[in-house]
Amino acid sequence: MGVLDYIWLGILAVFQGPEIFSVAGFGISVTLVMILSGFLMGILVGATPGLAGPMAMAISLPILISIFGFTPDALLPVMGFLIGVMKGATVGGAVPAILFNTPGTPDAYMTTLDGHPMAKAGQARKALKIAHVSSASGDTFSDVVLILCAPFLAVLVEAYLDLPEKTALLILSLAFIASVIGGSVGKGLISMGLGLFVAYVGTGEDFYPRLSLGTQTLAQGFPVATAILGVLILGEVFKALEDLWWDRRAARPPAELVQSGDQRLHWADIRRIAPYIGRSAVIGTAIGALPGIGSTLAATLGYASGARVHARTRPGERPFGQGAPEGIAATEAANSSVSGANLIPVLSLGIPGNAAAVFLILAAESIGGFNPGPSVFKFTADAVNPELVVAFGLFTAMMLANLLNWTIGGVFMRVAGVMIRIPKHILLPVVLLLTLTAIYVQEARMSAMWFAVGFGVLGYGMRRLGISPLPFVIAFILGGKLEDTARQAFAATGGDVWFLFTSPVAAVFIALAVAVVVLSLRRPLEAKA
Amino acid sequence: MSPRLPSARTNLYLSLGSIGFALVLGLVWAPLDSGTGLIETVRRQVTIGDALAPTLAAGMIGLGGVLVLAQRRAPDPGGLGPANLGFLLRFLAVIAVAFALMRWTGPVAVTLANVAVADDLTYRALRDTAPWKYLGFFAGGSFLIATLISAVEGRPTLRAVLIAAATTLALIAVYDLPFDDLLLPPNGDV
Repeated sequence: MGVLDYIWLGILAVFQGPEIFSVAGFGISVTLVMILSGFLMGILVGATPGLAGPMAMAISLPILISIFGFTPDALLPVMGFLIGVMKGATVGGAVPAILFNTPGTPDAYMTTLDGHPMAKAGQARKALKIAHVSSASGDTFSDVVLILCAPFLAVLVEAYLDLPEKTALLILSLAFIASVIGGSVGKGLISMGLGLFVAYVGTGEDFYPRLSLGTQTLAQGFPVATAILGVLILGEVFKALEDLWWDRRAARPPAELVQSGDQRLHWADIRRIAPYIGRSAVIGTAIGALPGIGSTLAATLGYASGARVHARTRPGERPFGQGAPEGIAATEAANSSVSGANLIPVLSLGIPGNAAAVFLILAAESIGGFNPGPSVFKFTADAVNPELVVAFGLFTAMMLANLLNWTIGGVFMRVAGVMIRIPKHILLPVVLLLTLTAIYVQEARMSAMWFAVGFGVLGYGMRRLGISPLPFVIAFILGGKLEDTARQAFAATGGDVWFLFTSPVAAVFIALAVAVVVLSLRRPLEAKA
Repeated sequence: MSPRLPSARTNLYLSLGSIGFALVLGLVWAPLDSGTGLIETVRRQVTIGDALAPTLAAGMIGLGGVLVLAQRRAPDPGGLGPANLGFLLRFLAVIAVAFALMRWTGPVAVTLANVAVADDLTYRALRDTAPWKYLGFFAGGSFLIATLISAVEGRPTLRAVLIAAATTLALIAVYDLPFDDLLLPPNGDV
């Protein structure tokens, strides 16, 4: 089996999977339908302020698993749907940002700066088209980088990193995530430490489940979905509901703006925004490849970089922030190019970098038969490696979602403007009940819903205290893997307590982990100065 | 927005709480509530014990607390005050009532039906039978949504009740009707 054979098998797995219906004698695979459904749902979710891609992924996951079961055949339809949601939400976030000055997703905030002034000037459709082209370009570029880089990185990791180095790499990743997310490395470390602590409750190698206080409830540990959905989704719902509670008013849908003039996107427009798209796509992809750094930072950096170049090279034209199409392009290309690159650490190292990646890992773990990480990319010659086929199936699904984005994404984006009319104070309680129901159907016990509410309170408290919940979630997912790898490395080195420092590569990783924490400590001091 | 404590004081409480929790976890809870210690020797083989990982997690939390303490006056968007806690308590009370309705509406309805028709049915026997199996979820879910919408709007409205009922029915249609293996609350517990 060569590389091309695996790529071909991955493509076939998507197109020739279980058939859902046939058109003119041609069977349509269920995976294709799921990618399309996820993509359309993602646009709607992204266009709805208060909802986000991860929320839709969390709520739909138990339903998808119930439909498709726990067989390897379920992997591509379920993960294809989630990938569709991820990509659709990225595009959809720009819709309310442009039409109503309200970002659908946090990373679309910078889009409001130029998108809404364009809409107010009667150019809303054109602004949406610019956002769509920029977003689709950035996303496609990012996916190409992912497809080219992830397998090579995984092969390198497998070839050169042994157990101590892998342990050190996990420590470096966690240190990096704790340091760069949010404004305070101290709070990042607290979030990460709590995630590790929760992961270790009710687990361990000994017969006695540790940290269980002798109770049967804690002896089972915390269900993965309960902790993740509680902290990520319920925490956000609690906080948003409180903000509405204090405002004591429902978000009223703003009035629609009157549109006039030429709304078409000409080649001249595309040539004009292309350099901004290219620059932001590179920035977003580079940032996305680092675990933990989100699309909001990519959008900010892409916008800032574009604004600097624009002011220098086109001083006579409309500046950023006053309805410049280049501003929309710079933001949307940057935030969209994060999504593909964010899967580089997931697929090559098994380390999730953002909330969407967390749910992809959760889906893979729930269904089984696919363990994201370097072992996926074993190009076995004599026998088929099914995980590698799934990986190339996922790449195919991503490129198909891009194709959908280029062809029907723009039309659907314009339709999705209606989602802003759903008041947030009605939407949030519905999301709360949806999430609690999703947890119950997975765990089938009321205590799981109470655990989720408890983690929701934790997530709420974190948000109120300025602590990002993402290090918690990522540490919770990686906690078991970190301990297992460390145990194996410790055993393999004959019980050497210095196993993280005896190998040069591992020592460098640990030094980098310390350096990233120390360097991050300087940020608040600089900001204070 | 809600009234909050100054972020420096909130950070002080956060750091002291984190350090305190880390000390309890690392020095008391992890060593006393784990089957094995930090490092174990079994048949002359040295292995990592179960207490090591939670102790290191405690170390992370404690280090984070110390760093927050050192930088507590740094610019910070966070803030948590008594008003927030008051909201949270009211919010949790609504959730508790909703969960109680989910758990007990069905069994109470069956008991009342038994009294009315002099029968000897149990909710457990009926938990896979409509409409009994939906009663708890419908009552608790509708209460949760209607109360939260009404709380934000400042008064109870018929619209909130109708939206809540329609949403709960839609969830029943999505989760229960197509799937035999999925259980709505509380049917997995009773």
